[in-house]
Amino acid sequence: MKVAEKTKFIQPGTLIGKRIPKMDAPEKASGKTRYIHDIDLPGQLYGKILRSERVHARIKHIDTAAAKALPGVHAVITAADIVDQRPIGVAKDHLPLKTDKVRSLRDEVAAVAAESEQIALAALRLIKVEYEDLPILTDPAEAIKPGATLIHPEPRQPGGQDALKPSGPVAFTGKPDNIAMRFDYCHGDVVQAEAESDAVVEDTFKLHYVTHCCMGVSGMIADFDSSGNLLMYSNTQVPFLHKREFAEYLNMDPGRIRIIQPAIGGGFGSKLDIYPFEVICVFLARAAKRPVKLVFTREEEFISSPTRQPVLLTLRSGCKRDGSLTFRTVHTLHDNGAYTSWGATTPFVMMQTFSSLYRVPNCDYHTVAVYTNNPYAGSFRGYGNLQATFAVEAHMDKLAEAIGMDTLEFRLKNAQEQGEVSGQGMEFDSCGFKECLTTAAERSDFRRKFAENVKNRNAPGAIKRGVGIASMLHVGGGAKIYPSDGCGTILKLDDFGQVTLITGASEIGQGSETVLSQLVCEELGLPMSALTVVNNDTAITPWDVGVHASRTTFIAGNSALGAARLAKAKVLAAAARKFECPAEELDLRGGYVIKAASGEALIDLPRLMRNLHFSDKAELVMTTFYYEPPSSYQDKRYKGNVSAAYAWASQVVEVEVDTETGIVKMTKITAAHDVGRVLNRLGIEGQIEGGIVMGQGYALTESLIIENGVMRNPSFRDYKLVTAPEIPEIDISFIETMDGEGPQGAKGVGEAPAICVAAATANAIYNATGVRICGLPFTPERVYRALHGKGEKLYLAPEKAA
Amino acid sequence: MTEIEQYVAPSSLEQAAEYLQRSGEVTILAGGTDLMPQSQGGRLKIKRTLMNIQHIPELKGIAIDGGAIRIGALATITEIMQSELIKKHLPILIEACDHFASDQIRNAATLGGNVCNASPAGDMLVPLLVLDAEVELASKPDGGLTRRRLPLSEFFVGPGKTRRAPSELLAGLRIGLPGAHHYARFFKFGTRPALDIATISIGIAGTLNNGALSSARVAFGAVAPVPMRAPRTEQALEARRLDAATIEAVAGVARDEVTPIDDVRASAWYRKELIHNITKRMLDHVAQA
Ligand SMILES: Cc1cc2nc3c(=O)[nH]c(=O)nc-3n(C[C@H](O)[C@H](O)[C@H](O)COP(=O)(O)OP(=O)(O)OC[C@H]3O[C@@H](n4cnc5c(N)ncnc54)[C@H](O)[C@@H]3O)c2cc1C
Repeated sequence: MKVAEKTKFIQPGTLIGKRIPKMDAPEKASGKTRYIHDIDLPGQLYGKILRSERVHARIKHIDTAAAKALPGVHAVITAADIVDQRPIGVAKDHLPLKTDKVRSLRDEVAAVAAESEQIALAALRLIKVEYEDLPILTDPAEAIKPGATLIHPEPRQPGGQDALKPSGPVAFTGKPDNIAMRFDYCHGDVVQAEAESDAVVEDTFKLHYVTHCCMGVSGMIADFDSSGNLLMYSNTQVPFLHKREFAEYLNMDPGRIRIIQPAIGGGFGSKLDIYPFEVICVFLARAAKRPVKLVFTREEEFISSPTRQPVLLTLRSGCKRDGSLTFRTVHTLHDNGAYTSWGATTPFVMMQTFSSLYRVPNCDYHTVAVYTNNPYAGSFRGYGNLQATFAVEAHMDKLAEAIGMDTLEFRLKNAQEQGEVSGQGMEFDSCGFKECLTTAAERSDFRRKFAENVKNRNAPGAIKRGVGIASMLHVGGGAKIYPSDGCGTILKLDDFGQVTLITGASEIGQGSETVLSQLVCEELGLPMSALTVVNNDTAITPWDVGVHASRTTFIAGNSALGAARLAKAKVLAAAARKFECPAEELDLRGGYVIKAASGEALIDLPRLMRNLHFSDKAELVMTTFYYEPPSSYQDKRYKGNVSAAYAWASQVVEVEVDTETGIVKMTKITAAHDVGRVLNRLGIEGQIEGGIVMGQGYALTESLIIENGVMRNPSFRDYKLVTAPEIPEIDISFIETMDGEGPQGAKGVGEAPAICVAAATANAIYNATGVRICGLPFTPERVYRALHGKGEKLYLAPEKAA
Repeated sequence: MTEIEQYVAPSSLEQAAEYLQRSGEVTILAGGTDLMPQSQGGRLKIKRTLMNIQHIPELKGIAIDGGAIRIGALATITEIMQSELIKKHLPILIEACDHFASDQIRNAATLGGNVCNASPAGDMLVPLLVLDAEVELASKPDGGLTRRRLPLSEFFVGPGKTRRAPSELLAGLRIGLPGAHHYARFFKFGTRPALDIATISIGIAGTLNNGALSSARVAFGAVAPVPMRAPRTEQALEARRLDAATIEAVAGVARDEVTPIDDVRASAWYRKELIHNITKRMLDHVAQA
């Protein structure tokens, strides 16, 4: 006897804004995640790189005979062995294995593949390199002077005359000067504006070297199959760009290159470029005809990873007595290091902050990036914005003080609003900037504390309290800098109602697979457990430009949503046929097809999927979608709406400054972020807390100490990350502006939280002590010196002085 | 990397002393928290024989022994921190342990290792100096195990260098039981509250009566080639009433007495400033005690 099933009604619910644990958390917390270190291929060899012992020198001779003779060594390579080497990097000025010269201490001179790491290391010690030292150039201000030692000189004849200039990239043709890149931007007329200003201030700021400190160090495995196809296990953040570029460097058909990403132990921008070690690992695999694994030691990670861009920056700003900003003029000198990576291109982002964070009718921006023998700078969360914001927000305080205006009022008066188009052509379709400012200020009781602290500056006692505010603007809807800023998705529903989300977007620890799954589940009315994500294999996943520019939730989210909507339409159409009703009356919820009006369950999804599949007109539900944001390329003058949405934030930092030791203790950070909409509350809180702590490290403790081209502190003992007891109380408010283009209204926030911490801290120290410190980080000694009139003298960025 | 030819793990002090007597080519391994990073970093070459001393019972334990507290060379920082004896009689050592590295390191790091490593910044050394600690050295020169004692203040001769002979093993440290009104405090200045090497450190001790310290002991870390006692500062402090002028004067003497260097952690100038300002702060506390 068949019992009639009870009619079931499914209650509406949503996943959006809920606290969803990261899908990879159980594996990571239990130590089961397989990182590159955990992967071993049969027959695999271990690669090690011999790096330069000199900062700048001619390579006279390399003797690898003894290394080659060591039992267990399968390949020893130098530039001489790789006849077809091509330069890598943004400016094509960097050969993976150095030919005639080393230009910095990290430079790769030779490499070994051996049966164990120990043997490979022993072999490195057997390689003898003869150097002839060249003059060392480590001061960027010296590097731009005429007559300076050239880092990439044009080749010369033995007689000294100019050689016939070879054609091709910088690595082969050299350069007549040390200038790697220049950026010049302007809107309005700063000269006229200055004449009309009531207050003008100028300062030079010095932003230092820091590095990413990913817990997972760099590494890869290269493996050629017997048909010559190359498989790379790689930690890259940009697998699809990598594939094309590797093909170029290796002179291979890109179709024969496949990249699989194991779990990545952090990226933060460090894995956005191709580095010599990656190309060398492939060379070794090719030479040894065996898979080769090359993983950095921690010291190597410090010494040979790119850094955040160090910058010397002179800013001149003005305003009227009524508090309206009149102009900004910026000159920066970027220390490029010996080779060009993404660091040199940070002006793309820096100029946005100068031109568009606040409404400024006239803006002039100039950068020169110069070669030196220092470590080279790459991309790093915030991409120049920490440096720019540090300067801009110092001047917001200074100008307000100069005209006697409340510092918050001054900011509110100049803050961008929804609907505005900035001087640089950025269109702010959603903008919660003012709300960020007022929320952060109110929740921290900023105004009262600010006034009280100024009054107490000269009160007795060594400890002074300070409060400072700073804000930031960053792309939050991708950044159109490549032929496409898009992402593809393939969505597959199986016979059991399980969904496989195949996305081009990589997971580098930021929680993207969780948030993408959430968007799909929301659309298909499924629990998170119904989702499997495939996101790490270029042979399977559709194209994506990569993890950068805080773009994944926005771009890959919209792409996943697009695919899910197509799948939903297909499922509902099938259900409509089955139940003979219009599809519009149906919906998906709780794993069922329901009547939208009543919530009555009609059929569970697995059953419907099987009905569709195992029928005469067998059908699978598999959809694809490619999302391209409606942003535009900048024109030649760097103007244009480069992102489909913009993120805003204001942060208030509270400090206690011990004037007898210089110790700055952060006691509280109140952050208000315009995130469009909160998708995964747990994820976004983690992202913002983590970013704030990274910003705290930039502000207070982290510094790569480079002296004469030598890194003095390549270890966690002397490179000081913030530890748990130093992390202040963090109060986060989310401003939900529901961006019209964002997935469910969300905008990107990946980089945002790290950007204005240092700027707000500088303002807080000033509020506490009346002393403005223009160099970072605020280590006890730097602060103590500044408080006792022994601060660093900062000179104008030379271009400006000239 | 070193080619270690022999690994030994003696189970008695006598055996260990015998290995040392037989060959100068022995590296002693206790917790390994200095030895490992130093040999990995190429700053130290492990000798032909590596001798693990962790199985020697005579080197363990914390006990009262003839009016003194004896801390075995193998006592770990964690053991010291948890010892009721130390809490009761030598709380200044707890203060030092509390700023020492991380839990993981504290579980492995030994007091003997800290003393024999003889870093000017070794955290236990400054408090031990102001407690008038003695080192107990064991060796087996002519068939019999002998021990000698040496004041810790005479033990250090340079960075990483001590008066321990290659044939000697540090067996333990002895600290006289402090009398009534004993006062002893330690301050470590690092750039962050946890996991840091001292930029400077200060120990102050003595018998506190009517706001003055007698038998005053002052020691400084990370401001000279060795962790140093500061006799001139002690003299300036001895039995003086700690009014503001005296405190300022003592702090001034302290600043002049230290001879720090510039390194990645701080400049010599800043270290001197810290010695002055923090000595002053600590003496303010003494005055209020
Ligand atoms: C991450 C980290 C953080 C640290 N933080 C601190 C800190 O905050 N403060 C601090 O003071 N130190 C610190 N150290 C250094 C180190 O932990 C200490 O010096 C520790 O006390 C050394 O003890 P050990 O048992 O590990 O010594 P080992 O490394 O085993 O030995 C150190 C040296 O002493 C010799 N030796 C050891 N025992 C004897 C003995 N009984 N007789 C003769 N010779 C002996 C060894 O041969 C070696 O030369 C840190 C180290 C690390 C790795």
